[in-house]
Amino acid sequence: MKILIAEDEIELQHSIQMYLERDGHLCETASDFEEAYDKVVIYDYDVVVLDINLVTGSGLDILRALKDHKKETGIIICSANNSLEDKLKGLDLGADDYITKPFHLAELNSRVNAVLRRGKYGGNDTITFNEIKINTVSRTAYINDKSIALTKKEFDLLLFFVSNKDRVLSKEIIAEHLWGDHSDLMDNFDFIYVHINNLRKKLTAEGAKYIKTAYGSGYKFMED
Amino acid sequence: MAQERKTYKLLYKTSKTFLKTSGALMICATVILFFYTQYLLKAELQEQLESTNARAIEHLNLTGELLVVHPTLSVSSVPNLLAPVRKDTLIFDPFQEEMERFQEYTEYVESQGIFYKVTSRAMVIDTDDFLIAIILSFMVILLASFVFLFYVNKSRNAKLWAPFFTNLERIKGFSLKSQSQLDLEDSGIEEFDELNKEVKTLTDKISFDYQNLKQFTEDISHEIQTPLAIIQAKIDTFINANSISDEQFEQITSVQKEVYRLKQLNKRLILIAKLNNNQFKNVKPLDISTILKDRIESFEEIASNPFQILEIESVKVAMDEYLTEVLLDNLLSNALKHQEGKGDIQVRLSTNELEVSNPGIQSIKNPDKLFLRFYKENEGQKSTGLGLAIVKKICDLYGFTISYHFDLDRHWFTVRFS
Repeated sequence: MKILIAEDEIELQHSIQMYLERDGHLCETASDFEEAYDKVVIYDYDVVVLDINLVTGSGLDILRALKDHKKETGIIICSANNSLEDKLKGLDLGADDYITKPFHLAELNSRVNAVLRRGKYGGNDTITFNEIKINTVSRTAYINDKSIALTKKEFDLLLFFVSNKDRVLSKEIIAEHLWGDHSDLMDNFDFIYVHINNLRKKLTAEGAKYIKTAYGSGYKFMED
Repeated sequence: MAQERKTYKLLYKTSKTFLKTSGALMICATVILFFYTQYLLKAELQEQLESTNARAIEHLNLTGELLVVHPTLSVSSVPNLLAPVRKDTLIFDPFQEEMERFQEYTEYVESQGIFYKVTSRAMVIDTDDFLIAIILSFMVILLASFVFLFYVNKSRNAKLWAPFFTNLERIKGFSLKSQSQLDLEDSGIEEFDELNKEVKTLTDKISFDYQNLKQFTEDISHEIQTPLAIIQAKIDTFINANSISDEQFEQITSVQKEVYRLKQLNKRLILIAKLNNNQFKNVKPLDISTILKDRIESFEEIASNPFQILEIESVKVAMDEYLTEVLLDNLLSNALKHQEGKGDIQVRLSTNELEVSNPGIQSIKNPDKLFLRFYKENEGQKSTGLGLAIVKKICDLYGFTISYHFDLDRHWFTVRFS
C-alpha cells in the first residue's frame, strides 16, 4: 500500500515512516504544505497521514484539494491541537480519522490499518493472520474457522496485536490504546495483565501461541 | 486579630457631618444669643431703674417730696448712707393678687443734709418673655434653614457623586474573563475623570496581561505537544530496535511513563485554558444519567470491584457533552485512585445532585485547597493534581456547586445542580 506522510517535523516523519514501512507499505514523505499539496494532487495514495498545522499552510486545505480532485484517499489527520472543532471540521471535510499528538506509533499504525481496510481496494472487513480470522464489522474472531468467544476488550486487544504484529508493545501502550485517558489508573490496578492473560489463554487453547513476552514486561505478537 | 474598621456610605457620612456641625453651631449660637440678649435686657432694665431713681432724686431735691408708687418706686429717709444694692425680690402685687418677681435697685443719697434711700423696681417677667420669644424664633429660623440646607446639600451631593457611583458599579461588574472592556461614564468633574482615566489604564493593562498570560499558557501547551510527539515516536522506535536489553527496556518504560504524565498534564492544562476561554459552546440539554451509566461501565473494567449504584434518576441539564464526560470521568477516577480501606465506590444521582463517595482512612488535610490546581494530598502521588480543579471549573461554568466532606470513613463529593 502507498502511504504519504505529510509532517513538517522531520524526526517525527522519519519515525512514522520507519514504523509503517515494517509492514511492507511504501511510504513517501512531504515536509511542507506545497510538497504535500503537489504530491496528493499528482499521485494516488491509499492513506495520507496529514499534519493539520504544516508550517506553510493548513492541512485542511489539502483535505479540500483531495476532495476537489475526487481522490479516494484515506486520510488520517494528526494535530497538536486537541480541539473538538478542528476534529469535526476535519471529519466534515472527509477525513477518516483524527489523532492527537503525541500519539503512539502503534496507535497510528492500527488506525492506518483500519483506514486501509475500509479503503477502495480492500473494502475488506476481515483480517487474516495465519489461522486467525478477525471480522472487524461483526467484531468476531475465528481460529481455524472456529469462533472464539472474546470480551469487548479482548477483541480490541487482539485487533491491536494483529495490527501491530512483530512489534514490541509495552503494557503502557496497550493500556493507552484500550483505556485512553484513564490508563493512568493502572498504577493501582493490574487489569492489563488480566486481559492479556485471558486472551492469551483463549488463543493458546486453540493452538495459536502468538502472544510472546518481550523484555520481561512487554508483549509481541509474532510467529515463532 | 485586627479590628475591622467600620465603614460608612459616603452620602451618609457627609450628611452626618453636616448634621453634626449644624447641630453644634445651633447650640453654640443659641447659648451665645441667650446670654447676650439676657445681658442686654438686664443692662436695659438697670438703666431704666437708674433713670427712675435719678428722676425721683431730682424731684426730691426740687420739692423735698418723697415719691412712692407701690411697688415700683419708694423714697424714704434713712439714718446713714450705704452702698447701692441691686437684687431680685418677690413682692405681692395686689392687682394681680400673686407674688411677682421684681428687679430692684437701691441707691442712697443725701439731700439738704438728710439721708434718703431711693428704691425702684421693675417686673422681670416682661424681659424673660422677651428673651424666650427671641431665642425661640431664632432657633426655629435656624433649624428651618439647617433642614432646608441639609436636603439641598444632600440632593446636590447625590447628584455630584452620581457618576462616581455609576462607575463604581461598572468597576464592580468588570470581569477579566469577559472580553468586554471597562466603559466608564464621563462626569465633567476633573478629579473623577482623572480617576476614571487611571482606573481604565490599569484595567486595560491588567486585561492585556491576563489575555497574554492565558494565550501564553495555551501556546506553550501546544508547543510542548510536538517535542512530546517526537519523544513518544522515538521511544516506540527504540523498543522495536533489535538489540536492546531487558534493562534498557525497563528504563525506556520509565521514560514512557513520565512522557505519559507529561501528556496528561498538558492535555489537562489545555482543557483548563479552553475552559478559561469559554470555548465549550456546544451546550444542549442532555440526560446525565445516560452518560453516567456509560462512564461507570467503562470504569468498572478497570476497577477491582463494581461500583455501588445507590440511585440513578434521569436528570436533564444543559451542558456541553464533552465537559459532562470530563466532569464524570474526573469524579469517578478520583474516587478510584483514592479508595483506601474496605467498601465500594458509591454513586447516587438524584434530581438535583450527584454524589460520589469512596472509602478512605481519614479526612483530607486541607479540604479548602482540594479544588486548587496542583494540590496533592501526598507528595508521592502520581497524579497531575488537576482533575478536581477541572471539576471545579466545569461546575463554576454551569453554576453548579461542588463540595467535599468526610463522613462514615468515606470521602464524599457532591455536585449540586442549580
